[in-house]
Amino acid sequence: MPDLYHYLQQLVNGLTVGSTYALIAIGYTMVYGIIGMINFAHGEVYMIASYVAFIVIAGLSMLGLDQLPLLMAGAFAASIVVASAYGYSIERIAYRPLRGGNRLIPLISAIGMSIFLQNEVLLSQGSRDKAIPSLLPGNLVIGESAMHGVVISWIQMLIFAVTLLVMLGLHLFISRSRLGRACRACAEDLKMAGLLGIDTHRIIALTFVIGAALAAVAAVLLGLQYGVINPQQGFLAGIKAFTAAVLGGIGSIPGAMLGGLLLGVAEAFGADLFGDPYKDVVAFGLLILVLLFRPTGILGRPEVEKV
Amino acid sequence: MHKATRHLSRLFAALALAGAALHAAAAEPIRIALAGPVTGPVAQYGDMQFIGAKLAIERINQAGGVNGRLLEGTVYDDACDPKQAVAVANKIVNDGIAFVVGHLCSSSTQPAADIYEDEGVLMITPAATSPQITAQGHRLIFRTIGLDSLQGPTAGNFITERIKPGRVAVLHDKQQYGEGIASAVRKTLRDKGVEVALYEGINAGDKDFSTMIAKLKQAGVDFVYYGGYHPELGLLLRQSAEKGLKVRFMGPEGVGNKELSAIAGGAAEGLLITLPRAFDQAPENQPLVEAFKAKNQDPSGPFVFPAYAAVQLIAQGIGKAGSDDPEAVAEALRDNSFDTVTGTLAFDARGDLKDFGFEVYEWHRDATKTPVE
Repeated sequence: MPDLYHYLQQLVNGLTVGSTYALIAIGYTMVYGIIGMINFAHGEVYMIASYVAFIVIAGLSMLGLDQLPLLMAGAFAASIVVASAYGYSIERIAYRPLRGGNRLIPLISAIGMSIFLQNEVLLSQGSRDKAIPSLLPGNLVIGESAMHGVVISWIQMLIFAVTLLVMLGLHLFISRSRLGRACRACAEDLKMAGLLGIDTHRIIALTFVIGAALAAVAAVLLGLQYGVINPQQGFLAGIKAFTAAVLGGIGSIPGAMLGGLLLGVAEAFGADLFGDPYKDVVAFGLLILVLLFRPTGILGRPEVEKV
Repeated sequence: MHKATRHLSRLFAALALAGAALHAAAAEPIRIALAGPVTGPVAQYGDMQFIGAKLAIERINQAGGVNGRLLEGTVYDDACDPKQAVAVANKIVNDGIAFVVGHLCSSSTQPAADIYEDEGVLMITPAATSPQITAQGHRLIFRTIGLDSLQGPTAGNFITERIKPGRVAVLHDKQQYGEGIASAVRKTLRDKGVEVALYEGINAGDKDFSTMIAKLKQAGVDFVYYGGYHPELGLLLRQSAEKGLKVRFMGPEGVGNKELSAIAGGAAEGLLITLPRAFDQAPENQPLVEAFKAKNQDPSGPFVFPAYAAVQLIAQGIGKAGSDDPEAVAEALRDNSFDTVTGTLAFDARGDLKDFGFEVYEWHRDATKTPVE
């Protein structure tokens, strides 16, 4: 019989994966919250950020600067900067010129952007998997032994810690800062916020940049954990994160966090009970169930008809 | 300025004419399609196949070609995707090519083989090991590599006789190649009285195997056989090490790749792999090994020499048949035995090699391997 350790272990595994889903999901949910559109190029930003992290780690190691803190700091800094630049450019190129038009048009331009970015990386980096060496080997064992107990690898701990810090920071930013207040105002009523003197273009660009930066954090963390990156990975990561955002209630930031964690845990236990091949079936089954009973997601507000 | 351009254009016209004349003088080359993954996650294996086949073509041409005609190889990319393989096969047929060395992945070789058989194209795969490919009674489909059904027993026997593990898990990636080998291993183990504690599929392309690792711990296994390719096994090894799962892993030749060590790092040390005989170690192949190295190519991949042999077979088959009609060449291949770089090869009625040996190797973190005695 499976014991308690086993289930705790699966819970830890699910929460780790889920917290990275949550990081990426925030990018979807923030953009949706303000302009009511899905940024389909978001998964590609995540993918590009992991390539930047790979290039920085490989480059620094080649120069002989292979101290762990330096590698990590370099990877985080570079990928956040580059991803933010991409996030900003995507908004400027694929969304802003089309604002005010039919809502379907920016959707198409975002899909085009996604295809463009994926092929850009395919052509410049090649289609093959790239391997990032494992920088943080080792683990923490809770219980009797590694074979009979809960094992949390250092990298899993790092994922928890960084996700928690980033989420806390984002929460403080949104709830306390001036810009955060402007973001909330825009989410409530974009037109009204504009009339009251908020530079809505700037706020929208800011949400794209924040989303991209969080995706970059997730990219570095996942790159370190799995060590394999390829130009196609943005698609699946994007789909999963989007699912997490919808599950939690798209438009709601706490919803994206909750949705991500829930999706990760559902996947872990689904795979445990029904076998690995049914992982995604369980995850998407859960999504359908939640949407049947709460069409706006767990924490989503019901759509209010605006007059 | 104008004068110079006119001179130049005359020069080009003359050259073009001369080229056309030369072309007409030499006999039409015999065209061979080299089909396999140039892109995608297993493109490394495509490389092995292409460098082997290309060197064979080059060498045969240097020695005067076949019946006074040169060989000409063209690479087609199927990305190891069954859908793209069908498109590639149709393109090869449309391009009027009658001989194919490829494809690589079993799942893309299968649908392509059906097309070649219908369209009268002779195909020799140096890499696809699924028994089903030759099980349909095709006349024009051959292979220069052993079958999963051979590799499975080799691995199964090794596990029961040498490892004698307590509890065994057999995992696979649910694809034709991986699941085929995994089920052959399970069958051998069962026949020898070893019960498999856990037999399960994982999703190809997945990156997180923490759930599976927890299940392996739960099942209390001390040996894991994985049927599939290196990207998933590499991650499985790496995450097992991070999670303190202490078991020995074994895999088929589809995991034996430098990338495996790049992904798994130290966790790749001690992995067991069944591989075709190391043809690059054979004394008689040393001149070829030198030729590969001179081109900065790695001759140690499992499909390099089988691909070389596939081109040799096409050339020798055409020579024996005295024609480049695929049907006649297929008949010649079935009726004779041929000296190639992978030994003396003869085919059975299905188009499989009569004899092909797999051996067990131990893999190291620096992507080298040593035979297990």
